[in-house]
Amino acid sequence: MSETIRSNGFTNQVLGWKAWLPTLDLNTASPEQIAVLEESHPQAKTSDYYLTLGHHPDILRQRSLAFNAIMYAPGGLSRAERELASTVVSRINQCVYCASVHAQRFEQLAKRNDVIREIFADPATAGTSEREKAIVQFSIDLTLNPAEIDAGHIQTLREHGLDDGQILDLIHAIAIFAWANRLMLNLGEPVFPGA
Amino acid sequence: MSSTTANAVAPDVLDSLLDIQPGTALHGVRHAREKVAMATQGSHDLFFADDLGNNLSLTERTWVAYFAARLTPQETLRAYYLASLQSQGIAPHDLALIDAGKLDELDDARLAAILRFTRTLIESPVHGDQAALEALQHQGLSTEEIVVLAQLIAFLSYQVRLAAGLSALSATGAV
Repeated sequence: MSETIRSNGFTNQVLGWKAWLPTLDLNTASPEQIAVLEESHPQAKTSDYYLTLGHHPDILRQRSLAFNAIMYAPGGLSRAERELASTVVSRINQCVYCASVHAQRFEQLAKRNDVIREIFADPATAGTSEREKAIVQFSIDLTLNPAEIDAGHIQTLREHGLDDGQILDLIHAIAIFAWANRLMLNLGEPVFPGA
Repeated sequence: MSSTTANAVAPDVLDSLLDIQPGTALHGVRHAREKVAMATQGSHDLFFADDLGNNLSLTERTWVAYFAARLTPQETLRAYYLASLQSQGIAPHDLALIDAGKLDELDDARLAAILRFTRTLIESPVHGDQAALEALQHQGLSTEEIVVLAQLIAFLSYQVRLAAGLSALSATGAV
């Protein structure tokens, strides 16, 4: 990490996350629960988040299939732009933990964090290019006012160079963070370094 | 609407509701990300299975879905979940109370607590806290039920936005 950003309660520091519910005990977990944890994330067996979701392994499996296909599939919208959208959605939903994780991923992929600083300061004006501003604005709009999304929003994205496959990838990245943010915000809380 | 032969795989809910027909450009775009479409439908099938093990009843889960789509609002999914509730034989009085947001007047205190949690997560997820989980525990929900409920509401937050985005793409005529 090149430099630490702290702004409006958001940060690109590495944070922990603590569950509010009892987590799965690996000593008594079923083989299926263990298998789903291993499919979901490399560190799932030591993560309070995955050990909470592991209480219902079938649902966790489908969530992880969707999440990993949306965020990591090759082609289409660049992975950095998917992480950009995820960071904006997390900033809007005020998920400090998610914003931190996805700010770091954006920076790893894009080798810069200028737009992250802008998103944390004021998402409504963030974006270092016209294309980036269009992606940020659509991420805000679909997060806050899904009922108002119409053909005009799609047309604006096309005008900024996104093809329809990239637009679908963007919609997926925004929508999956409506899902992820709610789990992270409502089943536990972030833990700050030194806390 | 898409059709399938008897015993075939259940049709994709979003393709059916949004009339995304095989052979169209949008169908091609969507199913180029087949793993996402499959996991979206796979999640939907799990959340609305008749029996989800020792867990929330199908009617409770469908109330959550209806209320979430109504609050968002996402009209296509609202109508879809309402039709599902009506096929399950819900009381018109309960529907009127829920539509009016009068959750405190429901006879079923467990359902009222479930729907209060739904409202918080849909409208202002940052305001969910440990006390919100304790309110569910107070109504007898187990840890597993609370995890499933949070996953369900979070999934619905995803599904309504995906439906909104696909509808907008459909309205432009995907190229």
